[in-house]
Amino acid sequence: MVRFIFILLIAILACGDREHSSTLNYYFTYDPRSLDPALSTDVPTGEVIALLFDNVTRFDVDGELQPGLASSWEVDSSGARYTFHLRSDARFHDGKAVSASDVQSSWLRTLRAGGRIWPLLPIQGAREYAAEESDEVEGIEVPDDTTIVVTLREPLNVFPKFLAMPSTAIVPTPVPAGFDQNPIGSGPWKFVSWSHDDAIMLARNEKYWGEVPESDSLRIRIIPEPLTQAAEYEAGNLSVVEIPFGETRRWEEQHADELQRRPALRVLYIAINTTRGPLKDVRVRQALNYAIDTKTILETVYGGRGVLSAGAIPPGLPGYDSTRAPYPYNPEKAKELLREAGYADGLKLELWRTQREELARVAQAVQQQLGKVGIEVEIIERDASSARAASAKGEADLFLTDWYADYPDPENFHYPTFHSRNRGTGGNRAFYRDPVTDSLIVLARTTTDEDYKAELSRQIDARIFEAAPWIFLWFPIDVWARRPEIQGWRIPAIFNGQRWIDAKHSP
Amino acid sequence: MRRYIAFRLVLVLPTLLGVLVAAFLLLYVAPGDPVQAMVGERADAETIARLRADLNLDDPLPNRFAAYVGGVVQGDLGNSYITRRPILEELLERFPATLKLAGAAMLFAVSTGVLVGIYGAWRPDGWVDRSITILAYLGVSFPVYWVGLILILIFAVQLGWFPPSGYGGLEYLILPAITLGMRSVAFLARMTRAAMQEALNSDFMRTVRAKGLREFVVLRHGLRNAILPVLTVIGLDFGSYLTGSILTETIFSWPGVGRYVLIAIDKRDLPAVQGSILFLSVVFVIVNLITDLAYAKADPRISYS
Repeated sequence: MVRFIFILLIAILACGDREHSSTLNYYFTYDPRSLDPALSTDVPTGEVIALLFDNVTRFDVDGELQPGLASSWEVDSSGARYTFHLRSDARFHDGKAVSASDVQSSWLRTLRAGGRIWPLLPIQGAREYAAEESDEVEGIEVPDDTTIVVTLREPLNVFPKFLAMPSTAIVPTPVPAGFDQNPIGSGPWKFVSWSHDDAIMLARNEKYWGEVPESDSLRIRIIPEPLTQAAEYEAGNLSVVEIPFGETRRWEEQHADELQRRPALRVLYIAINTTRGPLKDVRVRQALNYAIDTKTILETVYGGRGVLSAGAIPPGLPGYDSTRAPYPYNPEKAKELLREAGYADGLKLELWRTQREELARVAQAVQQQLGKVGIEVEIIERDASSARAASAKGEADLFLTDWYADYPDPENFHYPTFHSRNRGTGGNRAFYRDPVTDSLIVLARTTTDEDYKAELSRQIDARIFEAAPWIFLWFPIDVWARRPEIQGWRIPAIFNGQRWIDAKHSP
Repeated sequence: MRRYIAFRLVLVLPTLLGVLVAAFLLLYVAPGDPVQAMVGERADAETIARLRADLNLDDPLPNRFAAYVGGVVQGDLGNSYITRRPILEELLERFPATLKLAGAAMLFAVSTGVLVGIYGAWRPDGWVDRSITILAYLGVSFPVYWVGLILILIFAVQLGWFPPSGYGGLEYLILPAITLGMRSVAFLARMTRAAMQEALNSDFMRTVRAKGLREFVVLRHGLRNAILPVLTVIGLDFGSYLTGSILTETIFSWPGVGRYVLIAIDKRDLPAVQGSILFLSVVFVIVNLITDLAYAKADPRISYS
């Protein structure tokens, strides 16, 4: 009996089905919803799409816009007519050439797929096509196989960045059946297999028109639990891992050489519903900002993993002003402002949040500090769907949440979040409406002058800081670890900027 | 016997209908909009309107329910709002994993729990019996989440004996099976011990001993009589493993049905949740039926007509 157990143990230890050594190992927290770009709405799907497919443009690891299938492009003086010149050597994984008509049909397909179509809506005729009121999009012209001319409804300088969004990736025409489970793209990686909720296998595309990946295979496992992700990394089964929140200090001590940090294009904030009673008054909103000791909360509850915010634009983007100081912690000033506004007797507010662990203690700290200036806060915790729905309908006084960049541009932190036409589901959770800010935002997204745009963005940020439609918290810092035997991988500035081209096992 | 089985299966239908109605209504009432989950942030009004129309979300409730039941009867559980794939297909992809895990956990729980319970009844109040009792209480008190992570930390990260998580052969199955089965070990040990003691102290056991049989045979006789309550626990626990081992599946990255349902609920994927509830109800009913049939086999006094 003992001998049997002994042999069994040896057998278990011996058959270590470790992937062969040059495979890269990555992970997602949940299964992508589909491998069809038209259905890409979540981050894991977006990341895989960037590996399997090409877009007309793309972002590099530092978030800079680079040529993709389009080797160059120009815009006319109106700012509304873009001409993209496509490469002639791009091929899909089945060998077929990628042409301008593939680009056109991919975009048309996306418009009717019921996913994220906003990147294409600025095109003239796109809205009507998506609503099935017309059969073509007049704003897209294909004069020849390598040229595509796009006319927008109005000038928009961020449009080339929209075309790097996963839902606008280029697919073959026609799209074969079962495409969402068996995708064919033109990207640096080819699809091998997908075992749902378990793992996705990708293989290098030797015939890629651009830089061919260094490693021959990439395995992406689905690992939902952060502590398990850390365990897999420490056991050598993952090439990189994001440091779980609660473990920051330990990892800084034990894995110091393996850590990388990058300020994320992301802002953590509390949206103040500017349509509700006392919150309509800017003095009350500023009081909320003065009443909270953001610095201490960041240090104690968030492990110091952030940069205090004095606006919405994160560090690294044009328009970010490092000289503007955040609202200092000044409970006296907060009380004074409340008195001036007529709320010397205090207020009662509801603070909504989702169930994410790291937000729980932030909310509690905020509640406690607001209590000290006479604002009684009730915390309402709901799952993500319910909380977001309530906030979008305007039912929440305060909503603790974050905004992730879709693309690296200050416009992405202003237009969806503060322009009055985006109130509610569009992303403007503060229901903020200010005509001057609106026109500045529109100006910033239509001008073709980069420097002017940066200056406008800075001004908009300053206005928003004064108007305080948010309680400004911080810009989180991404902290990842990379196995010592892996080189050529850096934290990307934007989720689809890392294509694992340079990553490999060191010799 | 066959008529009994058929009868039981027919009884399932009203139960399932009731489950379906309850699930449908609960999800209808829950806040949160499935279309939001499908489209993400920066949703535009046109897409939202079209999705609501495509999915008949604004139809009156009885119509939607009738359409759904109509589909179910033909074996079509509908398509997931999120992945757009047939739900039955998605469940069948994940059910083998859940079955494997449940089976392994049950094997572990039964072999450990029942053996320990038998020993405890055989040599009551010895040091083995007392320590088992304490371990049993601990086993029930430790949260699954904590046990799982500790096992990973010690056996996977520190010792490297097993992979920390994932889906595969025996080496991937052992830690999650222990984690999931642990609570059952405690119950089974206690239950077996109690039932065995009662059996061993009964009159007919004196007859068996008087016949001079080997102790092992004596115990076997005792076990056959003690088995009924143990079978109940096994049946219920196995049913619960099959329908809800969410925590274990999450910690060990095990691609089972539990995780599927959890994510579907979170994303308000109504058809997926309804389809899963239906599927799991059928599974649970079948497990109960098998347990009842096992009773009849184990105890000739019980018969169904």
